[in-house]
Amino acid sequence: MSAIQSAFPGSVLESRVESDRRLWITVDPKKLVEITQFLRDKKDFDHYSGAAGVDRINENLFEVVEILTSHGAHQVVVMMKVRVPRDKPSVRSLTGLYWNANWYEREIWEMYGINFEGHPELYPLLLPDELVGYWPWRKDFKGYPDTTTGERAIEQVGPDGYTEFKIMPHPEMIKAGVVPERPKYPTFREREEAEIKSDSEMIMHMGPQHAIVPGPFLLDLLIEGERVKKAFLDVGYIHKGIEKIMENRTYLQGIVYTDRMCYLASITNNEAYCGAVERLLNITPPERAQYIRVILAELSRIQSHLLGTGEFLTLLGAATYSPFQYMIIDREDLVYLMESITGARITHTFVRFGGVRNDLPDGFADKARPILKRMRERTEEYMDLLHSDPIYTRRMRGIGVLSPGDARRLGVSGPPLRASDTPYDMRREDPILVYPDLDFKVVTRKAGDAEARVEVRLEEILESIHIIEQCLDQIPEGPIQEKLPKKIKPEPGEAYYRVEDPRGEMGFYVISDGSEKPYRVKVRGPVYAYMQALPPLLEGAYVADVVAIAGSMDACTSEVDR
Amino acid sequence: MYLSTIIEAVSAWAAQEPKIYALAIGLIGAAIISAVINIGAMAVVWLERKFLGDIQARFGPNRVGSRWGLLQLGADAIKLFTKEDSIPRGADKPVYVWAPIIASITTMLVAAAIPFGALRIDGKDYPLVVANMDISAFYVEAALSIMTIAVFMAGFSSNNKYSMLGAFRGIARMIAYEVPMGVCVIAVALMAHSLNLVEIVESQTLWYAFAQPLGFIVFTIALVTDLGRIPFDQSEAEEEIIAGYTTEYGGIRWGLLYFQEYINMLLGSILLVLLFLGGWKGPSIPLITVLSPMVWFLMKVLIVLIFLIWVRGSLVRFRIDQVTDLGWKWMLPLSLVNLAWAAFVGLYFA
Repeated sequence: MSAIQSAFPGSVLESRVESDRRLWITVDPKKLVEITQFLRDKKDFDHYSGAAGVDRINENLFEVVEILTSHGAHQVVVMMKVRVPRDKPSVRSLTGLYWNANWYEREIWEMYGINFEGHPELYPLLLPDELVGYWPWRKDFKGYPDTTTGERAIEQVGPDGYTEFKIMPHPEMIKAGVVPERPKYPTFREREEAEIKSDSEMIMHMGPQHAIVPGPFLLDLLIEGERVKKAFLDVGYIHKGIEKIMENRTYLQGIVYTDRMCYLASITNNEAYCGAVERLLNITPPERAQYIRVILAELSRIQSHLLGTGEFLTLLGAATYSPFQYMIIDREDLVYLMESITGARITHTFVRFGGVRNDLPDGFADKARPILKRMRERTEEYMDLLHSDPIYTRRMRGIGVLSPGDARRLGVSGPPLRASDTPYDMRREDPILVYPDLDFKVVTRKAGDAEARVEVRLEEILESIHIIEQCLDQIPEGPIQEKLPKKIKPEPGEAYYRVEDPRGEMGFYVISDGSEKPYRVKVRGPVYAYMQALPPLLEGAYVADVVAIAGSMDACTSEVDR
Repeated sequence: MYLSTIIEAVSAWAAQEPKIYALAIGLIGAAIISAVINIGAMAVVWLERKFLGDIQARFGPNRVGSRWGLLQLGADAIKLFTKEDSIPRGADKPVYVWAPIIASITTMLVAAAIPFGALRIDGKDYPLVVANMDISAFYVEAALSIMTIAVFMAGFSSNNKYSMLGAFRGIARMIAYEVPMGVCVIAVALMAHSLNLVEIVESQTLWYAFAQPLGFIVFTIALVTDLGRIPFDQSEAEEEIIAGYTTEYGGIRWGLLYFQEYINMLLGSILLVLLFLGGWKGPSIPLITVLSPMVWFLMKVLIVLIFLIWVRGSLVRFRIDQVTDLGWKWMLPLSLVNLAWAAFVGLYFA
């Protein structure tokens, strides 16, 4: 902190040291790039974790919060804010420093209309083209359909016979004559067609409906023969606007939405959100509740990894490749265990502020131990099977290699990053709950290829089983819920909380303005970063390898389009 | 025995009226063949769905036609026949329409020359073959390659990128594996001193799978490749190119393309049994002496089929460049080594 102040006198407007892991600073917009460069080069802040836009409408300001941290050199997270006026907002882009700032800034631009100077491709990412220019996440966005008048999108039959739903300018805007000017940019299709250089190249669509996609997203490949020359990615097909919805729900209601972001990781999403709100409320859950949370988080990690690996294997060898079915059978046991605690199979909505909803059922440990033992044997069998399959290793080895440097630069986290020899795990970097008391190791691999990513996942299952077994041994008796008032109204403030999702670094940034509802919720999801890293990874691969690479990332579209 | 008298009478008549005999046997044979291979292929499909279900810890068809799902295929066939027949707007119509037909014709052509077992009458095996020609092994090989043309027609005429890629892959793969497959057949013919499938079977006092193990392995791999089954189903890899060259086909046209794959699988298994596993040869079984070659033959074919299904359930798919690599760099040299071995052994011991 003081280093920044001495290096850039006068440009740090505000600062707050929350703990030894969180640093909040507000800097001068003019000096943003210089300070970031200083932090990156001199202070090892080599991981651009995300960025959030905040509409401070009462102060007539926009805030852009850049979340910077390091891949293991230290554990400080810098939340660096810049404030710009609301009319003609413009911030200097960080894409020159961090490659992966690209998508985060695009999202802020399309949602808030904050221009990023020097951004190479400021095109909409999540929004449909019709909505660009309305800046829907601004606090003064009226919404369409309008909740007061009930007007809806207008049906129009296009020249090719397809029905389209157009969103017309808001009637009040037309009346007042302030219809905003729509930004001009080449559409996705124009952008990709501009890349076709010769007759031997063509664009092949994979998605939005295709066997490889885990949810609807569009992966367009510019191919020549069987070689991919360039890949284009379009997401946003199922964008739900969860961050905006949560602004309009009370804190407790918000938990339900975190489930729906990714059904395989609903417990960890709950955990991340509740943890952030707990920081705002300044409470810590009782120890028994912490253990229950850890047990559930690890169970959900195992089942997510099993399904991810199984799905990935079907991508390699058609749906007839048998291990998939066996993984689903094994996963069923775990889902049954989770159901016995939470009462739900996938959308648990289980974690509460300052505790959990239910206690463990009677005899849970006796029920869980044999299942975990069997799970461990089966996982070792899978690892053995995949390792000894010559066709599998031939297909996977050396495919989609991410060198440690590239993996860090592209901003991926979780198993893909750890497979690239970077022991970066939120459970170690930003310890929460009772993780510091537990013994586990961070699984890494040197190779960084698709095979290594799958190996990391399978071995993490073993580590998670080890963690759960320790929890079952150590879990104390006691209460499971802190006493809280019925209406949860945190003091004005903000908190950023990270957990290790099955897929990587999941962070929730929650701002409170003292009311019953959060002022702003920002989700930093791991799959968002994977997806961004996918196009450069696919360049030069064979079409068949696209499947292997994309599958080995274990993506979840629902979370990207949250 | 009265059976042998019937045979003698028929042979005498055939010697008198060779042209009428050929016409009659052709017509009857064609009818029987189409019935046998289609019903056989249905049985193969059923077997695959059921056995694959077992491998994958699920049930497979178990509703239509008792708990064994025996009528499931009939229901599927009715569904395919009654579906709307649609042709994509941009398709090359005649080529599109003819591709599945040519695929079916190919399978018929192959089936005509293949002996479907034999009957043992008075200690002599009478093979059940329609066209017993001198070069039937060679002919079957050649007719099988016509499939490549059907695949190309289907992929090219659909006017679809996935179909096109699938057709390219299919052709690259088939060319790479037809050659070693043919060389293996030549090696067998060298040992048997004949290209006639019936004579090849009869000359197998020792199964050729043991006499030339290398050739057996190469031929089996090439056969799986030729059938386009996992791990060599790149031409219709669902996860990469939707359904390859069959992407734009629907209804009964797709049904024909799909069905000929299973007919080919049946014929391929039979060919493997004939060339390498001693065909219908086996000791006589008391009480059903006449049918005993049939029993041995079907048992061997069933084992080969189950092997093929097992492979599908337990392996992942190769990448197309790895397939062609394997074909040209390993299978072809190995098949040539096998040819040299067969020539050497055939010269000194046979």
